[in-house]
Amino acid sequence: MRKLLPYEGRPKRGFENKLRNLQKNKMGNYTELEIAKEAIEEREITGTPAPDFISGSKALMECLIAEGVDTIYGYPGGAIMPVYDALYDYMDRINHVLVRHEQGASHAAEGYARTSGKVGVCMATSGPGATNLVTGIADAIIDCTPMVAITGQVASNLLGTDAFQETDVIGVTAPVCKWNYQVVDANEIPEIMAKAFFIARAGKPGPVLIDITKDAQVSLMTKKFEYKKVHRLAGYHPRRTPKQEQIIAAAELINSAKRPYILVGHGVLISEAMEQFRAFVEKTDIPVASTLLGISALPNDHPNYMGWLGMHGMYAPNVMTDKCDVIIAIGMRFDDRVTGDATKFVQQAKIVHLEIDPAEIDKIKKAHAPVVGDAKESLELLMPLVNKKDLSAWKQQFRNLEPEEHATVSARDLKPEGGIKMAEVIKMASDKTEGNSCIVADVGQHQMTAARYYEYKKPHSYVTSGGLGTMGFALPAALGAKMGDPSRDVIAVIGDGCFQMTLQELGTIVQNKIPVKIIILNNSFLGMVRQWQQLFFERRYSFVDLQNPNFVMIAKGFGMDGHTCEERENLSDSLDKMLAHDGPYLLEVIVEKEENVFPMVPSGGSVSQIRLS
Amino acid sequence: MTYTICVFTENSIGLLNKITIIFTRRRINIDSLTVSETEREGISRFTIAIEHEKREEVEKLVRQIRKIVEVLAVFGYINDDIVYNEIALFKIGTPLGSEPLDIDTINKTYKAWVVYWQLDYVAIQKTGTEEEIKEFFEYIKPYGIIEFVRSGRIAVSKTPKGLVEYLPNDMEWEMMTF
Repeated sequence: MRKLLPYEGRPKRGFENKLRNLQKNKMGNYTELEIAKEAIEEREITGTPAPDFISGSKALMECLIAEGVDTIYGYPGGAIMPVYDALYDYMDRINHVLVRHEQGASHAAEGYARTSGKVGVCMATSGPGATNLVTGIADAIIDCTPMVAITGQVASNLLGTDAFQETDVIGVTAPVCKWNYQVVDANEIPEIMAKAFFIARAGKPGPVLIDITKDAQVSLMTKKFEYKKVHRLAGYHPRRTPKQEQIIAAAELINSAKRPYILVGHGVLISEAMEQFRAFVEKTDIPVASTLLGISALPNDHPNYMGWLGMHGMYAPNVMTDKCDVIIAIGMRFDDRVTGDATKFVQQAKIVHLEIDPAEIDKIKKAHAPVVGDAKESLELLMPLVNKKDLSAWKQQFRNLEPEEHATVSARDLKPEGGIKMAEVIKMASDKTEGNSCIVADVGQHQMTAARYYEYKKPHSYVTSGGLGTMGFALPAALGAKMGDPSRDVIAVIGDGCFQMTLQELGTIVQNKIPVKIIILNNSFLGMVRQWQQLFFERRYSFVDLQNPNFVMIAKGFGMDGHTCEERENLSDSLDKMLAHDGPYLLEVIVEKEENVFPMVPSGGSVSQIRLS
Repeated sequence: MTYTICVFTENSIGLLNKITIIFTRRRINIDSLTVSETEREGISRFTIAIEHEKREEVEKLVRQIRKIVEVLAVFGYINDDIVYNEIALFKIGTPLGSEPLDIDTINKTYKAWVVYWQLDYVAIQKTGTEEEIKEFFEYIKPYGIIEFVRSGRIAVSKTPKGLVEYLPNDMEWEMMTF
């Protein structure tokens, strides 16, 4: 049968009105086909060609093209079918990846955004489709990941009637979106999409959700499609270039410091300021620690890089927060997993805070010299004003603490006795890949181990769910990360608990032939919770042991190759086999059951209370 | 301490929810809330009164509200900074044989006015601060209040400049909206 498209014929005068009447009269039960038939009839009568007015769905596709979107992750369903129908004609320009669950779509979009620097796009239908996106959206807002989520919605005349698959998605996502908007008129689409992409990427990036009613998808625009990119909004125009007086005050404080200390966060990676940051560090010679998401902003082997901070972070970076006199916080927000008890954190030091979001200034720690602006521009402006220094003696104080940590923590973690240790696996993978891979870590002990024992050399190499701690993040995010930057080798490091939250995305990986490597570190426990129960709940192991399925058999069921490594002597060969495999591969490593990750700052304690064992 | 927060916004659906969730998430109770159009077309003004012990927390709250995309400006005030008022309506029963209302006192002492009457009741309008309205409430109570309603607070700042002057000017406004 011939494909009927409503926009193929030029509507004759009065057709528009007729179309509107049709929509009005039959609200709720008209179909695209009916409108299309009308259009064809009209065209046959008038015989006029030349398409002028396009449907909302087609307009949406044109918007995506105009924004340079080449990849979207999604799942079709009733209320988004017109959009999927339009997508059918754009398959050559937009690569749509069919995930297995909408949560996978939102995490894949996050992974894509984190390695590509572009806005990740995901799409789902109304009701359950949209609510399944919510975890990824909440993850994106707290980790500042640019994302546009498009959801279908029931026809506008059915809104509020408890229609089939109707959920108040705008209400549900309002607290976790940077912005959201419900489109009920096809004419709004170009302007709203331009706004959506601007908001998602401007300032501190975040997720934007656009909910489009089915009638807005189906109906024809009544004006010519025109796409104008948005560069500024009346209510939202984040400052990129900081005020010069703030720069001067910051530089003065930095120059006056005897024991300055840089805490670098995700902001430096988001603003692609790695080069500027490195130059700044090398001129001032200030020691650097990163937050979990700031990992790989500076290569691990840089002489000024001391490690990463936080609850399970490195010993010296945590302890030295008590010893410095000036903290230079760049693109980080003093999360409680970084500060421990924030009132006790860096009490003795003055704080310089470089941050793009004014609401973060003074939110947790009072900034003595706040600099509101983009990290790259701020560092460029600071650069000529800061003094060149040699802080070898001060840096040495950090280094002096390392032997103790190595002796108590690393030596134990890497000691080849008993079952295979998570640390051994990560360390060996790091050596074999020479620190050049992109690690996508899930949430728990393996996440901390991957942060600690992989020697990151390139930026954007540690992708994980930091702020929200979303178990199940890694598998879909890894496929997105690989597509976001196909030049990188992507290794997903996943726990046995996390894997079972989103394992259906193996199907997505296989169907789309995405060559990600997956390491499951299987200890048959929810390891991090078990560790806490051991240390703080008198070993009352409440619902943390897992009877796991055969992961390799599951992978094979999906058509993915893989094998299990149970013995230490096979570990090296196993990793080689995985890395050399052409295409996606799953390696399950059976690791020591009751291993703990240290160092550790007890929740709510101060970082100086850090425990090495 | 009572804080009055004035929020200038674009006029869009769902914005009230986006603003109130910032309060509810932090478990701050909104004592009163009033929304109206401003002298500038297309711009709404929210006046929100809250009780809070810590000024710095209110300042953080103001910055969080400012983050909402449709919000154009937010101002936080203590009572000394503003001229503020509320309006209250009282329905007072006047059945046969009841004590007559002392209209002279109501008008002159309490600056309240009868805005509607029927045989068996009158509706009295009283504007003023919360305290003044409470005072009048106590005075009129013995006459028998059938119904009482009070509006939210509205306020203007004591600065000579109008708050909308802090918003993007008309030309910028034209350029930036669509």
